[in-house]
Amino acid sequence: MSKSKLAVTLFILSEASFFALLIIAYVYFHAYPGEGPTAAGSLNVGRTAIFSVFLFASSATMMLASRSYRTRSSAMLGWLIVTLLLGGVFLFGQVREYMGLYAAGVSANRSLFATTFFTLTGFHGLHVAIGLLAIGAVAILAGSGSLGVSAREEEAFGSVEIYWHFVDAVWVVIFSIVYLWEFL
Amino acid sequence: MTGIVTLNPVSPEAAAISHLFVAILIILGGIFLLVTVLVLYAIARYRDRPGAPEAKQVFGSRRLEIAWTVAPVLLLTLIGVFMIRAIEASDPPIEDRKPDLRVVGHQWWWEIAYPKSGAVTANEIHIPVGKSLLVEVDSADVIHDFWVPELGRKIDAIPGHVNYVWISADRPGVYQGVCAEFCGAEHTWMRMIVVAEGEGDFDAWQRAQLATPAMPSDGEAARGLTILKDQTCLNCHAISGLAGNQTVGPDLSHIASRRILAAGAVANSPENLFRWLKNPASIKPESHMPNFQLSDEKVRALVAYMETLK
Amino acid sequence: MSDIAAADRIAPVEAEREGLLSWVASVDHKQIGIMYLLSGLVFFGLGGLEALIIRTQLAIPGNSIVTPDTFNQLFSMHGTTMIFLVIMPVMAGITTYVLPLMIGARDVAFPRLNALSFWIQLFGGILLYFSFVAGGAPNAGWFSYAPLSEPAYSFNNGVTYWILGLAGVGIGSLAGAINMAVTVLKLRVPGMTIRRLPLFAWITMVNSFLMIFALPVINAALVLLLADRLLNAHIFTPAFGGSAVLWQHYFWGFGHPEVYIMILPAFAIISEVIPVFSGKPIYGYEFVAASTVAIAFMSFAVWAHHMFAVGLGHLFDLFFGISTMAIAVPTGIKIFNWTATLYQGRIRFTTSMKFAVSFIVMFTIGGLSGVSFAVVPLDWQLTDTYYLVAHLHYVLFGGSIFAIFAGIYYWFPKMSGRMLDERIGNWHFWTTFIGFNLTFLVQHLLGMMGMPRRVFTYPDWPWWMTLNMISTIGAFTLLASVIIFLWNIRISLGAGAPAGDNPWDAWTLEWATTSPPPAENFALVPPVRGRRPLWDLAHPDRADELVAAASGE
Repeated sequence: MSKSKLAVTLFILSEASFFALLIIAYVYFHAYPGEGPTAAGSLNVGRTAIFSVFLFASSATMMLASRSYRTRSSAMLGWLIVTLLLGGVFLFGQVREYMGLYAAGVSANRSLFATTFFTLTGFHGLHVAIGLLAIGAVAILAGSGSLGVSAREEEAFGSVEIYWHFVDAVWVVIFSIVYLWEFL
Repeated sequence: MTGIVTLNPVSPEAAAISHLFVAILIILGGIFLLVTVLVLYAIARYRDRPGAPEAKQVFGSRRLEIAWTVAPVLLLTLIGVFMIRAIEASDPPIEDRKPDLRVVGHQWWWEIAYPKSGAVTANEIHIPVGKSLLVEVDSADVIHDFWVPELGRKIDAIPGHVNYVWISADRPGVYQGVCAEFCGAEHTWMRMIVVAEGEGDFDAWQRAQLATPAMPSDGEAARGLTILKDQTCLNCHAISGLAGNQTVGPDLSHIASRRILAAGAVANSPENLFRWLKNPASIKPESHMPNFQLSDEKVRALVAYMETLK
Repeated sequence: MSDIAAADRIAPVEAEREGLLSWVASVDHKQIGIMYLLSGLVFFGLGGLEALIIRTQLAIPGNSIVTPDTFNQLFSMHGTTMIFLVIMPVMAGITTYVLPLMIGARDVAFPRLNALSFWIQLFGGILLYFSFVAGGAPNAGWFSYAPLSEPAYSFNNGVTYWILGLAGVGIGSLAGAINMAVTVLKLRVPGMTIRRLPLFAWITMVNSFLMIFALPVINAALVLLLADRLLNAHIFTPAFGGSAVLWQHYFWGFGHPEVYIMILPAFAIISEVIPVFSGKPIYGYEFVAASTVAIAFMSFAVWAHHMFAVGLGHLFDLFFGISTMAIAVPTGIKIFNWTATLYQGRIRFTTSMKFAVSFIVMFTIGGLSGVSFAVVPLDWQLTDTYYLVAHLHYVLFGGSIFAIFAGIYYWFPKMSGRMLDERIGNWHFWTTFIGFNLTFLVQHLLGMMGMPRRVFTYPDWPWWMTLNMISTIGAFTLLASVIIFLWNIRISLGAGAPAGDNPWDAWTLEWATTSPPPAENFALVPPVRGRRPLWDLAHPDRADELVAAASGE
């Protein structure tokens, strides 16, 4: 495993630890809710599921972009852009959801559910945004012809890919615990 | 607290801990001596000096490693056995017992109540000698810790998480307690005392705490009562016989019968009470009690009234 | 392009930059390491000043040198400073300086990330200290228990600065940990297999993994507390359904691994210093290495021994009491191995070695008092008293700080090209040793006598003043020791004896280059065919792995 991939993997391990602790807080206050809005009364599984599909799809397109890169196919840039768009749609969905919650009076301090929900999904959204920036940077480099095929650059691309898959995997867990578990 | 209170137990629970402590100190002391002697011997014997032999290039010994892994494990297992027994002996189970005492930590005083009789006081607990009472420990604000070392373990007073601890004393005496969890500015002066006395004395004390103090009809004390009502003291303090039962500040119904003021910052005396009422910050700088800017004459009257609250 | 080609491009450019400004822009691990040490020294002075004021206030009962609230800010900042702005950065500094050299590398895996780690950590520290002039420093203790740390009870912004400062330090440390782990795993010179790693490198790597898993725990806790303080949330306020105990679980879930994060680097230093000044290899290399891994894993299973007084139930307490006693075993194994290394050696009592040997005894005392805390009913009496203050200082000062001094006297010649003066060093050592023990030994007794921690004064009971006064005298003796240390550094930087490549006749690769090393660290890295490359080179007929093979190990 190269330097970059190892570093990103270690970073992902630490981030996994971070998200695990935020999930624990969410689960704890799900069991001991206190007053105010709760998941059952505030969230819309269906809509979030749809937006989630976009995020999951972006992992697939990222893999396609990666394959194109390694096979020197010209489709790479296209797949990167599709990944960006899909990820962007997910973020847009998140923002819509936040706005809806806020309009319904569910702000971060209204209940223990609200605080842990916004903290958990908010930090996830932040990680998505950072991932999009990283993918965007790769796309810009590729688009301007500055992305070569040396071992180093391949490793860098691979690192971004690993990070993106991680962000996706975290959403699988969050979506399951916050949405599916509530409504199934 | 005079003396090494953690080794001067006055209750069976504290004794269980104290005996364990002595045993552990001996074991740990032995290990310390062993390591220290080994190190001192080595550095004396194997010092670099003219004519000293070359250092021996050895890498280790599996047998020795196993030995000094197994030996500590055995020793710790032994300690573990002592520990399990002492846990039960020093912190007996509660079963169905209803609490005899309710202690609520406030910043920075102890609210004391006897649910079975209804007596309420502050900072001073009385218990009959030789009887085990169950204490319910709670907090009205931040985390405090109830600790009377001669009588037993410490236990946190946590808002939202009620705790229970047994309290008893084998012999009469006045036992010092402290708050043992940092709780803010005046954590230092959140002390309490536990007075263990004969059953008769305890009953008499409890009866006195339950009695409603007579209201003075004339003289300086009566003037003091009027001032107390005017100054809205009852918005924070409860005095039985007068309206209200606030717990922002300590219950003052029998303040004159207590031995300490301001949770141990000073002894209870008319002089100290005067100083406190004149300017609480002079005794306990960060106390929540405001300075009412009272004239000396008013304070004297208040003190005269409060001295009747026996 | 390859790393070497990139390095060759950078090196001449670096050589052109001179002066102070070049240090600010530096990505050279040696310069970054020195900057860590310098900033750590400054914060050591600040934390020490806070301690001196605390000890002055406590020297006599009824003292009023400072107000109660100021006192609370002082001890909160003292603990936070010493842990996050002294021990962790200084250890990071020694590590980042020494590690690449020790494995024959040119720099760490990610030099720019290394610089970022330092500057973010420094910024976090400055932010924390800014609180003094921005409404008051944090005053809820170094672990900010809720609800005391919540806005309802902590009115100024102090705790918020604490959160933000720790976030900075935490990010810097995490980045540093990832950097060091990748460096050890990927940048070793060929021939240095994992089994031939110097223990310093091995322990650093294990410690990196500890940080990777433990630091995020406090990050999560800080995020939630920040939500409470800035967004009016109620995660940790019971009055609104939150849980004060949850904060403790989160904090100590980080806090306990954190103390191992602070002591593992000390173990790393001691594992290098003691063998060199005994003239023989470390006794039981594999066991020291394996026990380190055991400690790292087990450190995640003991956190609630900080919560025995919380009342979480006997079964819960028992589990953590047993796990805590268990973690004493791998620690003890190390103590025995270091002691055994002394036997049949030829011990040179340099200042570094004096600190290292006394580390063994001081850390043993701290470790043993730790075992007394593992015994749950004893903890019920002794926790939150001065017995605990004594315990933590024996492991963190008698342990980590003593090891740091051992490391500094050991590697200062490599870093500066000059030897620290041994005579002044002797004075430094003895004043430190005596001052430290004077300060903290009596505190065991004070705790047993019922003195709680975090109190700004105490009643005038028999012996209380005497013992506190002794402790204060010890603290001022430590002040003298630090002044002597600073004097030694000052004098030696100017006029210390030239060190040469290998003043100690040591064996690891950092001693195979000049003192200080050139920008690229090595002109030529010696071959590595064992754990002690320079020993093997000097004694080809008695090379370690030859001897080991011959004796059938």
